[in-house]
Amino acid sequence: MAGICNRLLGLNSFKGLKVFESTVLQHGCDCFAVTQFSGQVRHKGPPKPKLRFPLWYLQKTRVNYPEKITPENREFIKEVGYEKFGPPAVISGISTFQTNSPLKDQPLQKGVWTPKSRRCGLITRKIGLYPMWSKSGEPVWTTLLQVVDNHVVKYIPPEEYDPARKSVVYRKNHSLGVLLVGAESCDPQKFTREYCGLFAPAGLPPKRVLGRFFVSPDAALQPGTPLGAMHFRPGDVVDVVGKTKDRGFQGVMKRWGFKGMPGSHGVTKTHRRGGNIGGGGEKGRVWPGTKMPGHMGNRTRYLRGLKIWRINTKYNVLYVQGLGVPGGTNSIVYIHDTCLPLRKIKDESKAPPFPTYDPSVDDDLPDDLYDPEIHPLDSPSISFEEAKK
Amino acid sequence: MLLRNIIQRSLTKVRVNVQLQLERRNATVASPVTLDENVVRPEAKELSKSDQKFNSLQQRFVYPEFLPNPTLEWRNPIREKLERIDMMRRRSQVDLPEFYVGSILAVTSSTQHAVSKQTRFLGICIKREGCGLRASFVLRNVIDHIGIEIRYFLYDPKILKLDVIKLEKRLDDELYYLRDALPEYSTFPEDMEPEILPDGMPIPINTTKVVMKPRPWYARWERTHFQGINRELMMTHVSEKMKMQIPLHEKPWEKYDLMKQYRSTIPEEEQKDIFAEVDSELHKLELLRKKQKRKRAFVKPLKSS
Repeated sequence: MAGICNRLLGLNSFKGLKVFESTVLQHGCDCFAVTQFSGQVRHKGPPKPKLRFPLWYLQKTRVNYPEKITPENREFIKEVGYEKFGPPAVISGISTFQTNSPLKDQPLQKGVWTPKSRRCGLITRKIGLYPMWSKSGEPVWTTLLQVVDNHVVKYIPPEEYDPARKSVVYRKNHSLGVLLVGAESCDPQKFTREYCGLFAPAGLPPKRVLGRFFVSPDAALQPGTPLGAMHFRPGDVVDVVGKTKDRGFQGVMKRWGFKGMPGSHGVTKTHRRGGNIGGGGEKGRVWPGTKMPGHMGNRTRYLRGLKIWRINTKYNVLYVQGLGVPGGTNSIVYIHDTCLPLRKIKDESKAPPFPTYDPSVDDDLPDDLYDPEIHPLDSPSISFEEAKK
Repeated sequence: MLLRNIIQRSLTKVRVNVQLQLERRNATVASPVTLDENVVRPEAKELSKSDQKFNSLQQRFVYPEFLPNPTLEWRNPIREKLERIDMMRRRSQVDLPEFYVGSILAVTSSTQHAVSKQTRFLGICIKREGCGLRASFVLRNVIDHIGIEIRYFLYDPKILKLDVIKLEKRLDDELYYLRDALPEYSTFPEDMEPEILPDGMPIPINTTKVVMKPRPWYARWERTHFQGINRELMMTHVSEKMKMQIPLHEKPWEKYDLMKQYRSTIPEEEQKDIFAEVDSELHKLELLRKKQKRKRAFVKPLKSS
């Protein structure tokens, strides 16, 4: 192949050919190699990659070629899976495996919560919006986030964690470890061997969704620990992260809310266009950041400082303030304790479940836990007291 | 000739199919006139099994808000289930009886700013919309020559009492045209006596055709096909130019659009599952309501001295 390329470029230098071959081997991409070759060779050896993929960034799915397995064997493979991960079950509305004892080793020692400790977050699915009413009779619009079969997959302590992308001012004594959390157990046959291997040490079936949360070392969790909605309490304040709805390539009116131009009065061919995009003279160019048409949506967006109004413990649903949680219904949303300095918990008497909720503490939890400001719909109608004369 | 015959035959086939489809999976969208003929009120008596099945399919007219929004991208079975649980919780606290667009209702709700902390509003229901906990209805009345409309959320805990003063239907699914009709059509005295409908009676349909006021109007009523508008008198207010535009805005093909019909309705099987969940509780509440109604209907005879 190198010969063909050389012929195309009109080269016949022996040295050039050698360099070219090595680059092809390294990058496996012809175009890249061709551009590399045009200049002088300055580097000795391959450059250190500035960007690395994190260790859980693996080839996830495989090609679904026909394997020609007999139905009996197919059943057998299924049974092996069930033996390994437990029988299939629907737990709190989600189909998963009934893993009886996920913890292989002794659970890590429980730390004590301090205002500086950082807890793990959860992976949820946005399942819809609906109103509730406060005790003063005002409607409270909430977004429902269902915690979907979350388990801790891996813990990397701060000393071992080597971030893929270091910031310019990277602190060497980074004090936060990393918890890898997975959501939604799946059939292992759907994924590659290397992806399934990520979950094997924790004794878990492969998960469809992965999430990473920075935690302080005292909030570390044993791999295999299940996480539920009771990780938070009603009244807690959280931040949510999600991907906004993909709206494709959009014009300025939809993307930036421009007013457009008149529909009539002699206006031709410019009804929804942006108009002028720059001045002349010294500023005679398009300034960076000018609002123009382009791709809209499908971006990670944060929404901070949302109060949890209610928790459904049966279906693991969090009722979170507001309608602005990014993404459409049934999309994935990550949720963690708020980082807003004025809304963080600072009082040690109000410490959250640490490092996570222990289900063995109380057996008979009610199905619904409400914030004291919320009017539960099974209590009598709201009536205001008459003013005293 | 032959070709034309074939085409005609195939067309009639399509029409029959469409009608069948409408009957099968119709919830909200189809014209109300066809639906009304089928409506039989659920009875309190013990029903046989086949009757109960029929009954649960009729629930979609009585409790339309139990059916979720059919838009596929907004649906989630667990959210819908949670919503239904909450709705039943609210229904255990307040009596939310059966009513339709065109019925006359009186809503007593608690209001922070009223002197007695309660208000009662009586009016005709001109619109019912929304699914689940966000279900709402609009009441309209003319008080002191001013038209007043109030939107109530059906499951709002501020609603203390919902009385059906007159249970009846109109010819249409929504009555926003009453805004542009003569005021007498939406004027109801606030001390209206409730009319109690005997058990097992079909819901009466009020076939009033309202007379519209001269323009300007809230909407282009001449372009719509509402049965409850007196069309002849309405057209006297419409200019020739507006009359010419009417056929341009007609969409006669929409009633044959099976996909549109499918997307805007919940399939029959799903409806059955949904009502199977709440039927027993709804039935209990209905029995309770019947008991209270009998009490109300019975007037204690006065002692004759």
